[in-house]
Amino acid sequence: MEFVGKILFMAVMAIFVQNFVLMRFLGLCPYIGVSKKLDSAIGMGMAVIFVMTMASTFTWLIHTYLLIPLHIEFLQTIAFILTIASLVQLVEMVIQKTAPALYKSLGVFLPLITTNCAVLGVAILNIQSEYNFLFAILNGLFGGIGFTLVLILMAGIRERLERAELPVSMKGMPISMIVAGSMALAFLGFSGLKF
Amino acid sequence: MTLFKEFTKGFIKENPVFVMALGLCPTLAVTSSVENAIGMGLATTFVLAFSNIFISLLKNLIPSKIRIPAFIVVIASFVTIVDMVMHAYVPAIHKSLGLFIPLIVVNCIILGRAEAFASKNNVFRSILDGLGMGLGFTLALIVIGGIREILGAGQFLGYNLFPETFQPMLVAILAPGAFIVMGLLMGLMNLKKKK
Amino acid sequence: MKYYLKLGFILFIITAIASGVLAYLNTLTQPIIEENQLLAQEKARKEVLPSALTFEEVFDEEVVGETTYHIGKDAEDNIVGYTFVASLYGYSGDVKTMVGVNTDLVIEKIKIISQAETPGLGANCEKPEFQEQFSGKQKTEMKVDKDGGTIVSLTGATITTRTIANSIKAAMNKLDFPADETKEGVE
Repeated sequence: MEFVGKILFMAVMAIFVQNFVLMRFLGLCPYIGVSKKLDSAIGMGMAVIFVMTMASTFTWLIHTYLLIPLHIEFLQTIAFILTIASLVQLVEMVIQKTAPALYKSLGVFLPLITTNCAVLGVAILNIQSEYNFLFAILNGLFGGIGFTLVLILMAGIRERLERAELPVSMKGMPISMIVAGSMALAFLGFSGLKF
Repeated sequence: MTLFKEFTKGFIKENPVFVMALGLCPTLAVTSSVENAIGMGLATTFVLAFSNIFISLLKNLIPSKIRIPAFIVVIASFVTIVDMVMHAYVPAIHKSLGLFIPLIVVNCIILGRAEAFASKNNVFRSILDGLGMGLGFTLALIVIGGIREILGAGQFLGYNLFPETFQPMLVAILAPGAFIVMGLLMGLMNLKKKK
Repeated sequence: MKYYLKLGFILFIITAIASGVLAYLNTLTQPIIEENQLLAQEKARKEVLPSALTFEEVFDEEVVGETTYHIGKDAEDNIVGYTFVASLYGYSGDVKTMVGVNTDLVIEKIKIISQAETPGLGANCEKPEFQEQFSGKQKTEMKVDKDGGTIVSLTGATITTRTIANSIKAAMNKLDFPADETKEGVE
């Protein structure tokens, strides 16, 4: 029971309290860039959940079974970014071969993900927080879900903003930032949650 | 373009943050105080200048097919150097910037300049470009950090600006404040551009 | 095929050179980093237990689990007190507090060594005015005013204050020496 509680706590933490986008400021470029339309937001979100989970898995394994035994932890940044880049490339190729329909909807987003700092961010956070293997994977998964949640919310709001009467200079990016600020304000209400 | 213009174009005209909206994550995450803003800005400038030098030197040796991974390795190496040096000599700033030092790797400004400028220009111009863009980035961080610190803490660089009775607007140094200040500044830039 | 081997080879060379340079720099900076960390801890220990001159680390896995504590000794090698780190999850992250107690287990001083609480509210726990009120208190007094205790909460940050009090109580319960009847659970 305690175990389930721990997982639940982690889920709430990663999705709401320490939301990757609104509270940790990770993955802002796609958050602002790909939130114009609901469809593409969902596609991007799914791709990020997938890559963040995979990246957490592989970087944790590489850190534990390669960097630590060889005492080359200082190569962490290089090792992780190369792992993520090759992983994204691999996933792209596999999906393209095996599931062309999925590739059609996710494919365009995959190359963008290499430079999404949420992915490298979660990999480094897993190591810094000294999570075990299972929790590292879950952190990636929940972090991705948190990212997708706010991305979809944002896309919903922006589709309506299109028709709102705004000062011309505030249209587009500036108003998106303000909307993100209001969302962050709402998410601030989650902190201090206790179980 | 004259050399002087090459250097100063990053300050205002092609400012990476306000005009090109690159590198948003560190911009918002570390600007809760001016001190952090300066630390982050200089760290990024260092990485930008040196990776520009090396990429410009190596541009003829690297086949274009493996261009991107090679750039990433060069950038990640300089990021690791900055990480180590800051950890050793300015541990306090290293601690408060935390995760965002290794994340300089995925700052789109750096890979963007490597790809768009350093891989096409000579070493000297690349240094000027890197320094200029880095200082433009630093300038933007200081502006945002300054506004947030003054509003949110009533201080500038840690010095109290107001009498005791001043009630700072706390939200400005919290997550929502980052988004809102950024949104308003972007709107202001748009307004200026239109005129 | 040969072309791809060549590409891989070039990439490998670049990575190898980069790793070599970093390995060398690592040997230069690593000792400084470790020394800084040790110095910072030593300084924090000195601050919370000023009467001690030297500190001796105690690590007893059976009694205290992962928590270690230090015995502070004065110039004549007499035990003057203990220092330990108390840590609990606060409002938005772990709050770690270095605590110094004398031999009667009365708190000499505390120092917050790391926290990620809300700036301007919970983060005020780093202010000396707040930390001073812990001095001279015992384990049983680790209760905030909202719960009927004597520790004055930070404005708008009762949770942070409660976390610090509870963490100190919990750590002292864990570290406590045998034959202690005052042990009680932490809520």
